[in-house]
Amino acid sequence: MSDPAIKVQDLRVRLDGTRIVDGVDLDVSRGEWVTVIGPNGAGKSTALRAIGGLLPFTGTVELNGTPVDRLHRRERAKTIATVTQSPTVPPAMHVLDYALLGRTPYVPPLGRESATDLAAVEEVLESLDVARFAGRRLETLSGGERQRVFLARALAQGAGILLLDEPTSALDIGHQQEVLELIDRLRAERALTVLTTMHDLTTAGEYADRMVLLAEGTVVAAGTAREVLTEENLARHYRVRVRVIEGDHGPLVVPVRA
Amino acid sequence: MRPMLVAALAATTLLITGACGGNDEATEPSGSTPSSAGAAAYPVTVGALTLEKKPEKIVSLSATGTEMLFAIGAGEQVTAVDDQSTYPTDAPRTNLSGLKPNAEAIAAKDPDLVVLSNDIDKIVSQLDKLKIPVFLVAAATDLGGTYQEIGDLGTLTGHRTEAEAVNAKMKTDIDKIVKDVPARNKPLSYYYELDPTLYTVTSKTFVGSIFSLFGLANVADAADPDGARGGYPQLSAEALVKSDPDTIFLADTKCCQQSVQTVSARKGWSTVAAVKTKQIYPLDDDIASRWGPRTVDLVRAVADAVAKVPS
Amino acid sequence: MTPAVRPAGLRAGWLAGGIAAVLVALVAGLAFGSVALPPAGVAIELLNLVPGVHLHSGLSPREVAILTELRLPRVVLGLLVGGLLALAGAAYQGVFRNPLADPHLLGVAAGAGLGVTLVISLRAGATGDATANLPIGVPAAAFAGALLAVGLTWLLGAAGGRDRSPATLILAGVAVSSFLAAGQTYLMQQHVETLREVYSWLLGRLATAGWHDVLIVLPYAVVTAVIVLSQRRELDVLTVGDEEATSLGLHPQRSRYLLIVAASLGTAAAVSVSGLIGFVGIIVPHTMRLLAGPSYRSVLPLSVLFGGAFLALADLLARTAGGQAEIPIGVITAFFGAPFFIVVLRRGRGGAS
Repeated sequence: MSDPAIKVQDLRVRLDGTRIVDGVDLDVSRGEWVTVIGPNGAGKSTALRAIGGLLPFTGTVELNGTPVDRLHRRERAKTIATVTQSPTVPPAMHVLDYALLGRTPYVPPLGRESATDLAAVEEVLESLDVARFAGRRLETLSGGERQRVFLARALAQGAGILLLDEPTSALDIGHQQEVLELIDRLRAERALTVLTTMHDLTTAGEYADRMVLLAEGTVVAAGTAREVLTEENLARHYRVRVRVIEGDHGPLVVPVRA
Repeated sequence: MRPMLVAALAATTLLITGACGGNDEATEPSGSTPSSAGAAAYPVTVGALTLEKKPEKIVSLSATGTEMLFAIGAGEQVTAVDDQSTYPTDAPRTNLSGLKPNAEAIAAKDPDLVVLSNDIDKIVSQLDKLKIPVFLVAAATDLGGTYQEIGDLGTLTGHRTEAEAVNAKMKTDIDKIVKDVPARNKPLSYYYELDPTLYTVTSKTFVGSIFSLFGLANVADAADPDGARGGYPQLSAEALVKSDPDTIFLADTKCCQQSVQTVSARKGWSTVAAVKTKQIYPLDDDIASRWGPRTVDLVRAVADAVAKVPS
Repeated sequence: MTPAVRPAGLRAGWLAGGIAAVLVALVAGLAFGSVALPPAGVAIELLNLVPGVHLHSGLSPREVAILTELRLPRVVLGLLVGGLLALAGAAYQGVFRNPLADPHLLGVAAGAGLGVTLVISLRAGATGDATANLPIGVPAAAFAGALLAVGLTWLLGAAGGRDRSPATLILAGVAVSSFLAAGQTYLMQQHVETLREVYSWLLGRLATAGWHDVLIVLPYAVVTAVIVLSQRRELDVLTVGDEEATSLGLHPQRSRYLLIVAASLGTAAAVSVSGLIGFVGIIVPHTMRLLAGPSYRSVLPLSVLFGGAFLALADLLARTAGGQAEIPIGVITAFFGAPFFIVVLRRGRGGAS
């Protein structure tokens, strides 16, 4: 059996002296979509950043069998791409140039982007339906359009593993669905492994193959969406009253008043 | 802080160049006798400077240098002086600046000798590159320095004898003035004001050395005993009032409109001896800030002031 | 695919424009000055600089000296210093992601100023004359002071974490600058007679004789240019912030370190020969950004070219517009720089992307 795309053992992360992530184990097989959920402050984003190699941590994080901190930076960027919760929008930058930033690990130190790089980016922009914005400034796009451009940069990295931190938080209900559909389609087309954090639970269960529920820095539930999204789990950790309804693709969570 | 800086800058400017205005009670510049006075033998050398022949197109960027040149009879050889050279009034003033010298503008006058008081913005090396001879008359620290510079200018311009005559006359005049002032059993103290923010001089400066001729004691000496402040300390009002000077000399009458009235009106100064006896003496800013032949006038002004003080 | 959207980069048109600007500044700087020289004579004398060429130009030896010993080195110095300051400013703006960053940011100005004041005060104390012919002391003191200040800022910046975030460095720079400037003010106050000389240095000047100053600055200019220009792509990537840049495979701390070292060295060298000339380092990069786009691949090289041309032309004004005195160059750059920048800013806002 080949290595899982992501293998995390006993992950601990300290920020400003506080233990944010306190012993997390997590596996993501190739091609899987795993969603990490949990209440605010559970450590989801921090764990994701550590897995992406962006924060110092103790424990083991292996990508395709290699420890992430042993990978050379450029190698790591070609292996795993992260889209943060609120990516910086550089002023006056065109969409094409922003997406081209994703090719950074391929550009030699004193060199410039090659024709291959340009072609790769153009292809990605096409498949995300943002090619027509190529000459537009990033800040002039709408939220939904921008989110797709952020994704385009990540895909341009050509990495097999995608980490998405709250990919739908800033979007309206229509765009949320659109982005999740897009990610699922791309996952199939490009054989990507996807690890996301999600804060909105309503439709999260329809897209994830497996879920991990984090609370106070540790894993309190893991398994299929059906196994994790139970009224009892949610009441205990989110302190919310919900009804879980079985949808066509997975459980749907609906908060209800008492 | 800024007003202090501006005032101090004004003070330094005064020290180096002097404001405008002239004074009629001046030592007469020697008549412009053509070069009959002592056939100077060229080439002459003063320090590192050698002149092959007599300079006929001198440019002076120093107000004191200008005064010296005209006093020794070299006035006819001067083609241009800077904008601060206010004396003598018939000196050929131009817009040239001694403070922000422009090498090309100076070169445009085609000088065969340039006289300066400071080397600002590498002007000396710029003029050297153009092979223009430069002579520096730096601010003297005592009368000996003044006589030396006058003599050197005399040698360079071919007026050595007149220069020596000017020096001799200055020495005699000064000696006479000093001797005519009756001695006192208790020396008078003085405070010399450069600007209203109480910048002053110590006795180790040129001006201070003049006052020392009369045995006057400088109240500012305590503030800068080892000269670490370069001789121009700023006093605090408290320290000044406590030192209780017998006389006050004002060198900021023109720049900063100080006078007997303004000083007497200063809060907290009414107990100062000089204020009580109205022994406050305004000086001409120009004369007080230069170190040329008109220093005699400064000496005379101090003598007059001292003589008026009852013993 | 929608046609004709090209990735950001230096367009040939802008590059040509930059080179043209430099040539115009060079020619104007040589042709004009307080002394009117016949243009034909000037051209011939410049040809005579080529070894083996001896043509008759009709200029007197003094005029030739004015041209080749005063004007030519001065114009070249202006081009070098202007280009260097603009490049350093652009680099700092990229490193700190702050449009208000200028080359004097990390304490360079305060450190150099303190060094200069110290040397002049010591000189005054020893000889009694603050304006006595100051030897190499002042430039070396300015250089050393600038570098020490930046070093101090770098050390202090570690207080916020080993990563030395841009924000922490800026704060450290402010702290170090304030401290050193206070020291300088104290010294100046204690040695009032130094004020004139220090003030003159503070305002900046390009007055120079011979090639000595140019030769001092040249190696630093080359090193700075090579290092900073080599990081142009990295600067573009850094605009998305340290964390995202890391995820893209960059080493933000290393790029930052290289850029700060190079830019500070270059600025210290410029400051040591020409004093504190403001505005060039902040206005020129911004203007280039507004006119030619935000990518550092155009902003950096264009800043070098247009920064040099700007300063050389400003210096031309400094030595001809003041009658027979010189106007301090810092006054010219501020006077013309500010309104020009306002014009460009308004145009940039109104223009299309």
